[in-house]
Amino acid sequence: MEYKEPHSSGALAAICTNLSKACDKQMRPTEAGLFGKLAAYFSQSAGVAGPVSFNDLDTCITSDTESGYVAVETRAQQVGDRGALRCVTWGKKVTTIHKSVLVRYAKQGDALMEGNNLYVCEACGFIAIAKEVPELCPICKAPASRFTKI
Amino acid sequence: MHAARNIALCTKDCLCLFICPTGATDTENGQIDFAKCLDGCRLCVDACPSHALYLVFDRYPVKPDKDVAVVSALDNLLESKAKQELIGAALAHEGNGGAKLAKAIAHSDRVLAEDCAREARYMLPQSNQTRKLLTELLGRRGDPGFPVEAIEQLLELLH
Repeated sequence: MEYKEPHSSGALAAICTNLSKACDKQMRPTEAGLFGKLAAYFSQSAGVAGPVSFNDLDTCITSDTESGYVAVETRAQQVGDRGALRCVTWGKKVTTIHKSVLVRYAKQGDALMEGNNLYVCEACGFIAIAKEVPELCPICKAPASRFTKI
Repeated sequence: MHAARNIALCTKDCLCLFICPTGATDTENGQIDFAKCLDGCRLCVDACPSHALYLVFDRYPVKPDKDVAVVSALDNLLESKAKQELIGAALAHEGNGGAKLAKAIAHSDRVLAEDCAREARYMLPQSNQTRKLLTELLGRRGDPGFPVEAIEQLLELLH
């Protein structure tokens, strides 16, 4: 079986942190550290060209929700890949929340975050803007301990 | 196959200390001494009243191949999430309004990208696909600062 797509540095960084976390879960700290080292190399060699704005994020998000996730979902349903479907189920919701957060930020500006903290779910990526850490992730049901405060 | 302790669940009833034949469960850092732990023994796992002990496997099964078209679509999504993470990180560095929000979005995009990577064949560090990627990356050994020793060590440690 041949998978052809070459990965960008940014994607390689994510592949390596994913594998590093997998090694941590398997209680293999040495291997986790080595994947971490690779991830750091790829992160440092990745970058975006030119100035960027929140609009650029919005463009990518629209492309993901309108075609990226649809492509994975359609094919995953055809071949019964339930793991990929799970990834789509969570990812589509989290990505839609990115969009709504950007819309709210455009309207309210920094007032959106005033008096609130930002938390990200380490299991699915859900972003919470709240005073306290959520007890349970509304998207993937991970507990409060899985949230990182930004 | 050795035991490990989830310290967040441990209620310090210490039944694992009573039952462990080698003393591997009694350590100053709260984790099991993997070197002392007997392969597949599992006495502490069964004795623990709070399910804080579990078994970590040394070998993992070979997964069925993923469908090429699913992988291709996930790879595209992975690239899109990686790009968004970079945009978020660039916005976070600018330090003006919304920097914190941009940082949260970048963090979230990394988690989303990792999930795509996992489903697009890089779930297990021991898998053939991971080894194949690492082997291909060896080709970059000439790039300045490329951590080639890390890859060589990983190929030696993971199978």
